[in-house]
Amino acid sequence: MSVLSDAMERLKALFFRGRVEREMAEELRFHVDRETAERIRNGADPESARRDALLAFGGVEQYKEAVRDARGNRPLEDLATDIRYALRGLRRNPGFTLTAILVLGLGLGATTAVFSVMYSVVLAKLPYPDPDRLMMVAEKNSPTNIWNISTADATAIRAQQRSFEAWGEVSRMEAALSGQGTPEHIMIGRASAGFFKAVGIPVARGRSIENRDEDPGAPSVLVLSHTLAERAMGGAERALGRSLTVDGIPHEVIGVLSPGRNELGGVTATAWTALKLPAPVRRGPFWMRGMGRLKEGVTVEMAAADLAGISARILPLWTDFRDSVAKLTPIPLRERIVGRADRQVGIFAGAVLLVLLLAVTNVATLVLVRASAREPEVAVRVMLGAGKGRIARLLVTENIILTLAAGALGLLLASLGLKLAVTQLSLPRIQNAALDWRAVAVAFSAALLSGIAVSLSPIAALAGRGGPLRTDTRRTGTGRTTNRVRSVLVTAEFALALPLLVVAGLLLNSFVRLSRVDPGFDPEGIVAVEVSLPAVRYPDSLALRGFWQRAEDLTAGLPGVTAAGLASDLPPDSPGTNNFNLVDHPVPDGTSEPVSPWYGVSAGYFAAMGIPLLDGRLFTAADTMPVVLVSRAWAAKYFPNEQAVGRLLISGGCYDCPRTTIIGVVGNVKNLGLAESEDAVYEQFNRNRDRTLHLVARSGAGATAALREMRELVRSLDPELPLTESILAAKLDDSLDDPRRWTVMLGAFATVGLALAALGIFGLMSYVVRQRRREIGVRLALGAEPAAVTRLIIARGVRHAAVGSAIGLVVTLALIRRLGTMLFGVSPTDLTTIAAVAALLLSVALFACWLPGRRAARIRPIEAISSE
Amino acid sequence: MPPESSELLQGTLELLVLKALSLTPMHGWGIGHRIDQLSKDTFQVQQGSLYPALQRMLRRGWIKSEWRITENNRRARYYLLTRTGRQQLDSETRAWERASTAINGILRVRSVEGLS
Repeated sequence: MSVLSDAMERLKALFFRGRVEREMAEELRFHVDRETAERIRNGADPESARRDALLAFGGVEQYKEAVRDARGNRPLEDLATDIRYALRGLRRNPGFTLTAILVLGLGLGATTAVFSVMYSVVLAKLPYPDPDRLMMVAEKNSPTNIWNISTADATAIRAQQRSFEAWGEVSRMEAALSGQGTPEHIMIGRASAGFFKAVGIPVARGRSIENRDEDPGAPSVLVLSHTLAERAMGGAERALGRSLTVDGIPHEVIGVLSPGRNELGGVTATAWTALKLPAPVRRGPFWMRGMGRLKEGVTVEMAAADLAGISARILPLWTDFRDSVAKLTPIPLRERIVGRADRQVGIFAGAVLLVLLLAVTNVATLVLVRASAREPEVAVRVMLGAGKGRIARLLVTENIILTLAAGALGLLLASLGLKLAVTQLSLPRIQNAALDWRAVAVAFSAALLSGIAVSLSPIAALAGRGGPLRTDTRRTGTGRTTNRVRSVLVTAEFALALPLLVVAGLLLNSFVRLSRVDPGFDPEGIVAVEVSLPAVRYPDSLALRGFWQRAEDLTAGLPGVTAAGLASDLPPDSPGTNNFNLVDHPVPDGTSEPVSPWYGVSAGYFAAMGIPLLDGRLFTAADTMPVVLVSRAWAAKYFPNEQAVGRLLISGGCYDCPRTTIIGVVGNVKNLGLAESEDAVYEQFNRNRDRTLHLVARSGAGATAALREMRELVRSLDPELPLTESILAAKLDDSLDDPRRWTVMLGAFATVGLALAALGIFGLMSYVVRQRRREIGVRLALGAEPAAVTRLIIARGVRHAAVGSAIGLVVTLALIRRLGTMLFGVSPTDLTTIAAVAALLLSVALFACWLPGRRAARIRPIEAISSE
Repeated sequence: MPPESSELLQGTLELLVLKALSLTPMHGWGIGHRIDQLSKDTFQVQQGSLYPALQRMLRRGWIKSEWRITENNRRARYYLLTRTGRQQLDSETRAWERASTAINGILRVRSVEGLS
C-alpha cells in the first residue's frame, strides 16, 4: 500500500508537474486567505491581518521548496534540468553536435553490425538440444587431412561404440526432383534414423525417418524442408502422403521439418531420405559423415579413445586400406560448422573495434575543444557558486546525450550494414544475424561507455582548475593541458589507424595477386550445362552410354561450337578427390596413401577447355583398361625428374582391380580454386555408370546464344531432364567474390580510419595555429620566413603522426600473424605493403598539417597583434 | 500567548495531524487550527511546516487528499485519513503512551541507590 501510494505520488509529481505546482500554489494561497479572514474576524484590521498571516505561515517560497523536496523526485528533476540545459547547449552548437553524432554513429553502427554477425556466426549456440554433445565422426590421419567414413566404418561403429547415446550417418548428394512442376536439381540428405535421433530435431508434421525405412526393401520415403513443402506442394499439410520423384524413383512424403530448418547436423539439404546401408565389401569408399550424440558424462577424449579402438580392430579385416595412422575421430559439430570463420570474424571484429576507438578518440578531442572554449562560462559558474560536481555532472549528461543519439543513429546504420553483410559475406550461420535485443544492448552500452570516455579529459581539466576567476584563457596557460591531452589523443589515432591500413593493404595486395592468377584455361566462350539422367528412364549402361555419346556429338556439331566434352566437375571449385598408390614408389606399409583431386572427363573436355596436352596421348575409344591423364604439377610432384607417362598406380585402394596406367600429361588448371594447388588426375568418365555430368562447349556464338542452343539440344533428346547452366567466365569471377568482399569491407574501415586520423590532426594543428596566432604574428613581424612557419607547424604535426604510426606498427606486428590464412601469395609481415601503408598514412598527415601550416604563414602580423 | 511553548519532537507533528484528521476530514489551515486548539497553544507550529509533512504522509499512504468546496464556497484541498493512516495512528499512540509512561517513571525517581 505504502509502496504503491509512494509511487503514485511521485509519478503524479513527475508527469503532472504543472498541475501539481498549480494546486500547491492554490492550497497555500487558500491557507493564507483563510488565516487572514480568521484574524479579521478576531478584530484585526485587514492590512496587518494579511501581514501577520504571512508571518505566521513562515516564508511561502521556502515551504514550497520543502514540499517539492518532500515529493522525493529531486534527483530526477535535477536530471531533467541538466538534460534541458544540455540539449540547449547542443542545439546552440549544431556543427559540433552533428559532427560528433555522425562520427560516433558510424563507429557504433559498424560495431553493432559486426557484433550481430559475430554473435550469429561464432557465439550463438547451435540450434540443437545440448549441442555441445553433438560430434561429427570422420577419418583423420593428420591435423589437416580429414575425410568421410565408409560403410565398413559405419557398420563397425554401430556394433561396437560405447560413447554415443544416439548414432547415425548422413550423406549429401545432388538429385533430380520431378513430379511437382519443372524438373530441378536439389540437395538431398540421405540419413539414417539414428542421425535424426542424434541431432534431436523432431519433424513439425508427419513422422521422421525411422529404422524400418532403412530396410533394403522398404518403400522410399522423403522428409521435406518447410521451404520445399511450401514451394513445391503448397504447404506442409498438403505435402504429407503425396509422392515426389527423386532421380526417377517415386518417394512418399512422410514428414515436413519446421520452418527455417534447412540444415541438420551441419548438412544443408532441401529434402531428406533414408540411408540404406549396404553390407560392406571393402573398407572404402569413404562417402558418409558420422554423427553421434555423446552419452551424459562422456568426454570428447573418451569418445576418441573408444573410436580409435574400433579403428585398430577393423584395420586387419580389410586388405584394401592399410593406413594405420588413420583413426575414426570425433570432431565437435560446433568446430566443424564454425571452423575457420571465428578467425575471419575475429579480424573483422578487431578492425571494427579500432574504428570505434578512433571515432571515440575523435569525438573526445572535439569535446575537449568545446570544453576549453567554454572555459570562461565554466569559470563564471564556479564563481557564482556552482559546485564542480554539479558542473561535471552537466558535462557528462551532455556527452551521454550526444553518444546516445549516436547510438540511435548507429542502430539505424547497423540495420543497413547488416543487410549488406548478410547478402555479401559467405560465413556459416550468417543468415541468422539480426538486430535483436543483444545488438541494441551492445549499441547503447557502447554509446554509454563512449559518453563516459569522452567526458574523462574535460573532467580531469575541470578538476585541475585553479582559482575561479580566470576567465581569460588566451593569455594564460589553461589551454596547455588541453593541448597536451589532445596531442596524446591524436597520436593514439594514428596508432589505431595504422593496423587498420596494414590489414586492408595486405588484403588488397593478396586480392590483386589472386585475380592475376592464371586459371590454366581461357574461360572466354566456355559454357556448360549440367544434366542428370534418372535411373527409371535410363536403367542400364546401354541407355546411359547412348545418351552421353549423342549429347557430346550433337553439341560438337552445333553452329559456332569449336569443341565439346563431358566432365564430372568444373573449375574453379571442383571438389572430387581420390586416394592412390604408385606402383614404382609405394608409400611404406601402414601409412596413408596420397590423395589427389580426381575428375572424370571425356577426351573432348581438354579441347573444349583449352587445356593443352603436354606429353603422351588423350583417351581414345580403344581404351579398355583403366587409364588416366595427370596435370603437369602432379607429374612434377610424384615423378620429379622422371617420365610420368607409362607409369602404373593403384586407384582408390582397390588392390584387386587392374592397375591404372598414366597415358599423358596435360596443362595445369586451378580446379580447386585460384589460391589452391594444381594437382589433378583425370580419368575417363564412366560412360556406363555416371548419371550426372557437365556438358561443356567452347563456342564463338556468345554465351547466351550458345546456352540456348545447348538447352534446346538436350530438350530435344529428353524434354524432362533438369538442367543447370553455367558460364565459365562468370564462375571464375564468382570465385573471387569472397576475397573481394573482405577486401572492400576492410578497405572501407581503413578509409574511415584514415579520414578520422587526418581529421584529428588537422583539427589539432588548426587549433594550435589559432591559439598561437599572436606569437606567430610576432615572429613574422620580426622577419621569420613564412615557409619556415609552415614547416614548423608541419614538423610538429607530423611528429605526432610518426610517433603514433610507430606505436601502431608495433601493435600490428604483434597481432598480424592471425591474418595469415586469409592471405594469398603475400606474407602477413610483407615489408612492401607495410612501408607503402605507413607512407600513405604519413603523407595524409603531412597534407592535413600543411593546410593549417599554410594558414599560419599567411597571418598578417598587424592584425594578429592588434586583434587582442 | 501561551506561557510556555516547546519545540515539536521529531515525528510528533505527524502524530498530531493523524489525530486531528481522525475526527473529520480537514483542509491544511483547519488542521493547523485544530492542533492549536487541542494543544491549547502548547506547541508553536509554524503553519507552513504542515505542508511538507502532509506531502510526506501522502507518499506513505496514511492520508489522501481531495478538492472540496468549503462552507464559504471556495475550493480547498481536504485531507482524509486512510485505513493505513488509522492503523498508524493506533500504533503510534500506543508507542507514545509506552514511551511517556517510561519517561514519566524515570523523571519521578529522585535518587538511585548505589549510584550517588
